[in-house]
Amino acid sequence: MNGKQSYSRRFFLKTSGALAVLAAIPASVKALYNEAKNFIVPPKQTFPLPVSINKKMYKVTVDTRTTLLDLLREDLHLTGTKKGCDHGQCGACTVHVDGERVLSCLTLAAMLPGKEVTTIEGLADGEKLHPMQQAFIECDGFQCGYCTPGQIMSAVACVKEGHTSSVAEIKEFMSGNLCRCGAYNGIVESIQKVAK
Amino acid sequence: MKPFTFSKPENLGKALSIKKDTVQFIAGGTNLLDLMKKNIAGPDAVLDITTALSSKIEQQGKGVRIGAMVRNSAITTDKTILSKYPLVAKAVLAGASPQIRNMASTAGNLLQRTRCPYFYDITTPCNKRKPGSGCSAINGENRMNAIVGYNEQCVAVHPSDLCVALAALDATVATTDKNKKQLSIPFKDFHKLPGDTPQLDNNLPANAIITSVDIAENPFSKNFYYLKLRDRDSYAFALVSVAAALHLQDNHIADARLASGGVAHKPWRWYEAEQYLKGKAPSASTFSAAADIVIKDVKPLSNNGFKKSMLRGAVETALQNCLTA
Amino acid sequence: MRLFNTKKPVAARAEGRVEAVAKVTGSGKYAAEYEVKNVCYGVLAVSAVAAGSIKSIDLSKAKQVEGVLDIITHEHKPLVPGMADEAKIKETRFGLPIFHTDKIYFRGQPIALVIADTLENATYAASLIDAEYNTEKANVDFESTHPGVKLSSAGKEKGTLDAWSGAAHIVEAEYNVQAEVHNPMEMHATIAHWTADDKLVLYDKNQGVNNVQRVFARLFNIPPQNIEVSSEFVGGGFGSGLRVWPHALASVMAAKQVKRPVKVVLTRPQMFSLTGYRPAAWQKVKLGADNNGKFVGILHQSKNNTSKYETFSEGITRITRMVYNFDNLKTEQATVPLHLSTPTWMRGPGDCTGAFALECAIDELSHKMQVDPLELRMKNLAVTTDPESGKPWSTNFVNECVEKGAAMINWKERKQVPGTLTDGEWKIGYGMGIGMWGAGRGNASAGISMQKDGTITVKTAMTDIGTGTGTAIQNITHSSTGVAKNKIKIELGHSDFPATGSQGGSTGLSSISGAVSAVCDALKQKLATYALVQKEVYKNAALPDILLSETGVSYKTNNNEFVSYADIWKKNNLTTVDVEASSGPGEERQKYAFCSSAVHFCRVKVNIKTGKVKIDRMVSVADGGRIVNEKPAANQISGAVVGGIGMALMEEQLADKNLGNLVGNDLAGYHFAVNADAPVIEVAFINKTDPNINPSGAKGLGEVGIIGSAAAIANAIFNATGKRLRDLPITPDKVLA
Repeated sequence: MNGKQSYSRRFFLKTSGALAVLAAIPASVKALYNEAKNFIVPPKQTFPLPVSINKKMYKVTVDTRTTLLDLLREDLHLTGTKKGCDHGQCGACTVHVDGERVLSCLTLAAMLPGKEVTTIEGLADGEKLHPMQQAFIECDGFQCGYCTPGQIMSAVACVKEGHTSSVAEIKEFMSGNLCRCGAYNGIVESIQKVAK
Repeated sequence: MKPFTFSKPENLGKALSIKKDTVQFIAGGTNLLDLMKKNIAGPDAVLDITTALSSKIEQQGKGVRIGAMVRNSAITTDKTILSKYPLVAKAVLAGASPQIRNMASTAGNLLQRTRCPYFYDITTPCNKRKPGSGCSAINGENRMNAIVGYNEQCVAVHPSDLCVALAALDATVATTDKNKKQLSIPFKDFHKLPGDTPQLDNNLPANAIITSVDIAENPFSKNFYYLKLRDRDSYAFALVSVAAALHLQDNHIADARLASGGVAHKPWRWYEAEQYLKGKAPSASTFSAAADIVIKDVKPLSNNGFKKSMLRGAVETALQNCLTA
Repeated sequence: MRLFNTKKPVAARAEGRVEAVAKVTGSGKYAAEYEVKNVCYGVLAVSAVAAGSIKSIDLSKAKQVEGVLDIITHEHKPLVPGMADEAKIKETRFGLPIFHTDKIYFRGQPIALVIADTLENATYAASLIDAEYNTEKANVDFESTHPGVKLSSAGKEKGTLDAWSGAAHIVEAEYNVQAEVHNPMEMHATIAHWTADDKLVLYDKNQGVNNVQRVFARLFNIPPQNIEVSSEFVGGGFGSGLRVWPHALASVMAAKQVKRPVKVVLTRPQMFSLTGYRPAAWQKVKLGADNNGKFVGILHQSKNNTSKYETFSEGITRITRMVYNFDNLKTEQATVPLHLSTPTWMRGPGDCTGAFALECAIDELSHKMQVDPLELRMKNLAVTTDPESGKPWSTNFVNECVEKGAAMINWKERKQVPGTLTDGEWKIGYGMGIGMWGAGRGNASAGISMQKDGTITVKTAMTDIGTGTGTAIQNITHSSTGVAKNKIKIELGHSDFPATGSQGGSTGLSSISGAVSAVCDALKQKLATYALVQKEVYKNAALPDILLSETGVSYKTNNNEFVSYADIWKKNNLTTVDVEASSGPGEERQKYAFCSSAVHFCRVKVNIKTGKVKIDRMVSVADGGRIVNEKPAANQISGAVVGGIGMALMEEQLADKNLGNLVGNDLAGYHFAVNADAPVIEVAFINKTDPNINPSGAKGLGEVGIIGSAAAIANAIFNATGKRLRDLPITPDKVLA
């Protein structure tokens, strides 16, 4: 084990006397973490939520804990958006909020008022598929199809952001969407096709 | 997840007036929600502060001020950042995924918690999660953990890439509390080592808030590199990362910055190696000697001895790439 | 109407898989996505210790959470007749007797299921369950335990070990593979709904609906036909859906208990311990050759971990008895019980692990002999006869795969001396590995229902887990009947449809193609019988002479002796024409041996300063018989190779030796390849029909794509650096060591 403290800490104490107050941070952050003792189960909190999804206004009563992903899948039955990990580690739940790709599993529904959500269900123009959806079909950019809505939402954003100059760039900017079937060949090809 | 109340204060003053220990600010939510789902964080109330703080990147004197709510992705496309502080953009691009970068805020990036697997598994002892319960990693699977600055209490590393670049560039963190007391904390003093309070990651005063991150004008916009080594090519936390920046004048190194992620409880500066580089001609042998200085005091854990040679190679490579990339 | 291939009308149907529109629009329903009225949510609470027994469970806090309907534990549960006592539990071979024991076999074992009105409430309540345990010392350490476990024979020994003890060239080495986890993108899920006391409806993620049906029929002592299993869209399986896992039973028990439909979706961490994994394995290979490069003998030993409550043996040494000729051959195996959950088949089970050792050992031998490893393999491939059965291969074009792949990657650029090719700090190397898999075929049935307008619907219980099975069925139906593809609908993955085996072991297409051909013939025959009412010529008409068009039946040539469907329907007073047929393997299995193969070539760059390995090119050439639909077939191979990259470079499920917990059991901690890790995989096929295997001539491709690919990468790393890395995954730390 190395020494008790590092030089950086000494620097801190030496060079920032005015900030000495910082050294005495109360350990109160602990209170943020669950302690089993004297536990009283807090009641769930619900609130009315107006939210615009695929240009349609929904008014629902939701639990403050509800994520956009669970709102879509469990409450609104818009199940095109997929749950692959629920922790921002796979990209299957990718949707667009105000036109930008984000993870719906790490978005609280409560934070959505005033924002426009687009899901895979809202990507096609009526019965006409979005060019990226068409490209995924033609390039066979999927196998089991479970990560596909997230891949497509991400791919549309990838093109819009302009990250399509090379295969390597596409691959890097599509690496937030895991595909366990390994259909990466077709995914890259689809994006190249649309970016042209 | 534990139930909580949710509100969106209209301004910073209001947000700070409500803030107490059991109240949590939320911005991007990319780490907080994760922690709440895992029952690692369990606030009684969550305050949406996304519109209460600045989301602008502005000139500040001769430097730049990055508002607390600036999204990580905005940093990677901002003209000022790209022309004058490109190391910062490079570091951000090495982290997370495009989706997460679109969500995550600048302040939140600084405050993100370690990714030590034992911290995340609430059925295991962890001093950072539950002070006094012990450290599982120190004798466990610790290949991702620290090689410097740790102690018996905690061997976790800080997971941010952005912070490594900010540390290298001597940024400052602007904070304010409910009494409107403003503090400007030098970056190297913002994050802390575990010490006797491993549950605390940083020196942000209790119930204060980060308002911006400021970077002073610097000569490191030409010769810089951010090298991140990880178990896969993208979307993974660092085994070791290196932010390197050189200020070259008349074929010698006038100034140098060298920092690492994935090695300590905080973004780690290699001051001694920086000192060594100053005044030297930039050459493979100089860089090799600097890399030797970097690794001379690191003390790997049971399972991460490789980080020493990896770090050495990464420092050399990053410095070399400052000249060519 | 539920159709696999048309979920939503679209203006222009694109050329692609039959279910493509459903998948790219998100309208295809996966197990957890069915809207079932009055459904509630089940969330598992799991054990915090790895060995011992449950002393007590404190549900008091969890029960305070509003919306909680009930909590199932081993002390509070509905009757499961098939698990009524110890003897019955053994007999069911279900695996973990969830909620029917107080014993703890592994950390993460379910101890309770909370049932609540919402997912949020159920999840929160589950997190409040505390348990006390009688904790025993757990052992999850494969590495230190396996040396104490004795090997036993795995297959008949050929010749003797002594016969080649003095061989001119011998290599002997040990190889280790860490446990890997399937992690299909869709987490396993079940919605269970008792529609009557003895009638069960299940929406479930699995690879074989008939298997699920059988298992629950046994457990609840009800007729299989009382159980309806729907698994139309399956978000990846890789073997994890070949068994019925504890959570599925938990949901069925819960639905019984609360008399409401219950949905259980596993969390990602639960996926690591409740749906199987590829076990950790140790192997030793001793391989000898004479001065002409002819293999003279091999000893291949393997051990894999299993659980404390079940034995799972992977069959790791099987591949050694298949690809090459050895006059002397001995294979041995053992299983090592640990306090972990039971492993299961994972893509290329056994062979994938075995081929890593075998193909690396051959590379080691070639290096020792200073010969090209490609040449050494070519000299020893068993291309005419299956060494195990002695039967001739029906078809085996593995040698052609080698030649084609070598040309594609430009193998002649490879240098025999490792470390010769460099690019700055990067070392460049080439490697190869061979994969082979017994091309199986099972019994399968399919049905066709035809409408008056000439549209037909092909139905089978077979699932399509991303393999392209539905599309292949459409292609085969089209070529067998002549009916236009846009008039062929496909329905899959439902237990009401004609029964099949599971989609696994690369037998899906091989099995179902026979049934589809048979049912197409049956349709033609039946239509001819109906046409006979109008035209005498159809009496005893031979199958090839019966032609179907959009509008009717013809004899020998189009429009000759034409009878319209409209007339057939009218004259015979029909609503639909329904036929069903079955097929299965037959005498050909007595005459021939069958295999699919793939040969993988890799060009790798290794940074000697940072330990970074970058796969520069990956070429895979496969012999899968006739390729029924090329794009999905190529997708299968390239996807499997991406799995091979993961296996070679990053995938490992570690367990903490002190605490017994899985470490980093989520998708941030457990790495599999992202898009950036894989180059564009270059795939080619030999595409020669196998005339004996089934009517389509296609051999399964699901497994061979991964088998041998990790060895190709490891061998390329050796060629680049001179470092022989025998432990997977080859993470940067091992490259630097």
